[in-house]
Amino acid sequence: MKTKKKWDTRKTDYLERMSGAEPYINNGKVVAAEDTINVLEAVIRLFDRVNIEGNNQKQANFLAEALIKCDTQRIHDLYMVQSAVPLPVHLDMFEVGIAKKLDFAYGGPMGGRVAEAIKNGKLELGAIHTYLELFARYFIDLTPRVSLICAYEGDADGNLYTGFNTEDTPAIVEATKFSQGIVIAQVNKLVDKVTRVDIPGEWVDMVIESPKPFFLEPLFTRDPANITDTQVLMAMMAIKGIYGEYGVKRLNHGIGFNTAAIELILPTYGEELGLKGKICTEFALNPHPTMIPAIESGWVESIHSFGGELGMQKYCEARGDVFFLGPDGTMRSNRAFSQTAGHYACDMFIGGTLQIDKYGNSSTATATRVAGFGGAPNMGCDAKGRRHPSDAWLKCGAEFTSQSEYLGPMPRGKRLVVQMLESFGEKMVPGFVDELDAWQLAKNANLALPPVMIYADDLTHILTEEGIAFMHKCRNLEERMAAIRGVAGFTEVGLAAKSTETKALRDKGIIKTPEDLGIDRQRANRSLLAAKSVRELVDWSDGLYDPPARFRNW
Amino acid sequence: MSSKWENIQKRSFLESEARTRALGLVDPGTFTELAGPRHRISSPHLPLLGEAVEFDDGIVTGVGLIGKKPVFVASQEGRFIGGAVGEVHGAKLANIVRMARKAYDEMLASNPDLPEEKRPAVIISFDTGGVRLHEANAGLLAHAEVMDQFQDCKGKVPIIALIGSRVGCFGGMGFVAAASDVIIMSQFGRLGLTGPEVIEEEMGKDEFDASDRALVYRTTGGRHKYIMGDCNVLVADSIAAFRGALQEVLGKLYAEIAEMSCIGSLEKIQYQLKLVDLCVETAPKDAKDVWKSAGNENPDDLTDMPLDEFLTTVKRLTDRY
Repeated sequence: MKTKKKWDTRKTDYLERMSGAEPYINNGKVVAAEDTINVLEAVIRLFDRVNIEGNNQKQANFLAEALIKCDTQRIHDLYMVQSAVPLPVHLDMFEVGIAKKLDFAYGGPMGGRVAEAIKNGKLELGAIHTYLELFARYFIDLTPRVSLICAYEGDADGNLYTGFNTEDTPAIVEATKFSQGIVIAQVNKLVDKVTRVDIPGEWVDMVIESPKPFFLEPLFTRDPANITDTQVLMAMMAIKGIYGEYGVKRLNHGIGFNTAAIELILPTYGEELGLKGKICTEFALNPHPTMIPAIESGWVESIHSFGGELGMQKYCEARGDVFFLGPDGTMRSNRAFSQTAGHYACDMFIGGTLQIDKYGNSSTATATRVAGFGGAPNMGCDAKGRRHPSDAWLKCGAEFTSQSEYLGPMPRGKRLVVQMLESFGEKMVPGFVDELDAWQLAKNANLALPPVMIYADDLTHILTEEGIAFMHKCRNLEERMAAIRGVAGFTEVGLAAKSTETKALRDKGIIKTPEDLGIDRQRANRSLLAAKSVRELVDWSDGLYDPPARFRNW
Repeated sequence: MSSKWENIQKRSFLESEARTRALGLVDPGTFTELAGPRHRISSPHLPLLGEAVEFDDGIVTGVGLIGKKPVFVASQEGRFIGGAVGEVHGAKLANIVRMARKAYDEMLASNPDLPEEKRPAVIISFDTGGVRLHEANAGLLAHAEVMDQFQDCKGKVPIIALIGSRVGCFGGMGFVAAASDVIIMSQFGRLGLTGPEVIEEEMGKDEFDASDRALVYRTTGGRHKYIMGDCNVLVADSIAAFRGALQEVLGKLYAEIAEMSCIGSLEKIQYQLKLVDLCVETAPKDAKDVWKSAGNENPDDLTDMPLDEFLTTVKRLTDRY
């Protein structure tokens, strides 16, 4: 005899939770800021999977601060599924027991506390993901029951304007709402009519005007004043030896001074090499202020952004031919789409790292910090699902010597994945190592895997101040290791290089030094930078770029 | 990039190292470095502490010409221990000033009618946080010696301070700069006594947030110092611009130059005291409040407007009081 099974328990549960919040909801979906803790206590249950929106840029910090003030008798052992935990409050949550488990992508400045919390049993770590990977799991096995999100504007019907900093919001809300979950938004401003509907009101249960605007970190702002002559040399090698060589048009740049230097010599050195229009025309990229001179000089046709960068909003809005603007005239970023673009539609990822081991595995993990890599691994890998060709992709694939070992004569392209690393980093710490610190971290924090940002089999080029190693041109691991030694300078790894071996690799075009590339080292200095200070970036932008206070040196 | 004199002129003053500044400020081909790296006079104290030395101890000293005028140049290198003044560094600075004054005495003794345009001057390009803590006693003593030399120059040799390098001019060297006759700055130059980081460390982030660079610059930067009257001439950020301002100042008679100094007469001290009164009266919370007191209706606009516009728009305390 078949028992009658209920198929709407999620819905029933949702209605039951919402009824607890009902007394605090007025005028449509509005909740007063002082009732925030009451509604959180009403709708969140023990062991719930909860998302607090936040990534390396914007943060729903008001709601996070409210959640930690909730009664720990009523709410504890939550399972946090969220992009990032970069604020102290995110970790305090585990200290006081409100939260127990965590699946995330980026720890940033709290990386050390994550490791500590794991060690003393306060935090049970699921896994470290990439952004896209975590979003994917929101729709499979990590669907949030309650999501606490943030927006610039909200109205009484729940419509939200997330604008320039839309970022993760659509992915979170869609996963939560379409599984009958609860979505609570903190907004900077309650308005009668939102500037643009980025999230439809139907998908939002409560709107709270926060006393202060949500927190925004200008993570992608690099002050040109801090770029070194060595970084300029490496940028010259990148442009001449890789961008120009492969004709890379569609790409992503990582965060850091290495790529900032490249961006700033496009209008000078790049122009001189006659590469304008032939490289760097389309990007999946945050609105880097250091891109302004290249954009103003007409290098760039299109940029789609993961998030917004503090101070760049007006500039982006005034450059509608380049950035993605809504019908209302303001930009919309979208991390899920931009990550997808970075994974499938870009021919190259280039960025810095902290360590590369002798096999070519690269990681920014250190022994005591569980920081995660955000989106870098999705861009810094060969997109195995890619089927459309492009010149750069095909050329790299054709050079990929060991590909035929798997495919026979079948042609296939390959993404260029470039890591830039000076042989010695800050405080003379070697960049090339025998074993990545990630192994020690895995031990310290009980991780199943050493966190690797880019695996050796995806890495095609290593660029140091010594030269470029073309990893994919190597026949086997042995040759790849020799190529790494050849560009690893005076590190222990580099000192093991044999000069005859390195010479042979140079002859084969597997290693190229600045001289091999015809680059005059005398010219490798800051005078090549199109802008040498934040002030000059402002001038390039016609005053449209409004840098955060901490970057103003005038 | 070639270090030819013509190329140097276009360069950013902020970006230029000490030797480039020294070379570019004087007429082409006229600079001779004294006690330079070839003489290898380096700090005797740093090796004891396991620190690296430099053969010029972070300061370039020498002589050159601007027009017919012999100029005695000191140019500090902020990239070596923040341009801090140690024993050798300080001795080089004190002695270049002494040489200028001795040259003046000898020249005037042999030719009392020497025209002003041929009389020596001192120019100091500051890039320093003040005393070098590794050799603090010697460094502090050097500050006193330099001030002494400045006094001996009074009535004889004008001393021009140039501030527009990365480190700015802080600590004891802030006093030294204030004791010069004329201060030329760019908007990127910073002048003060206690550096921003030290204020934050001593008084807390609420008192002064050193990571808020906008705050740091509007409290110590060239624009603010120009409004206050501490800086006499505000120029664009190129070696040519600094050189142009130098030429103009050095074209004046000594008496006119000395008149530009912030100190040196009862009248000037009374003016300084008037500013103290103003400060007590208005209790400014921010540099912008002071700018308002100087008669600038919209102080917010002053930070971002282009330099040319700033110079034609701005009202200075010196205009008002």
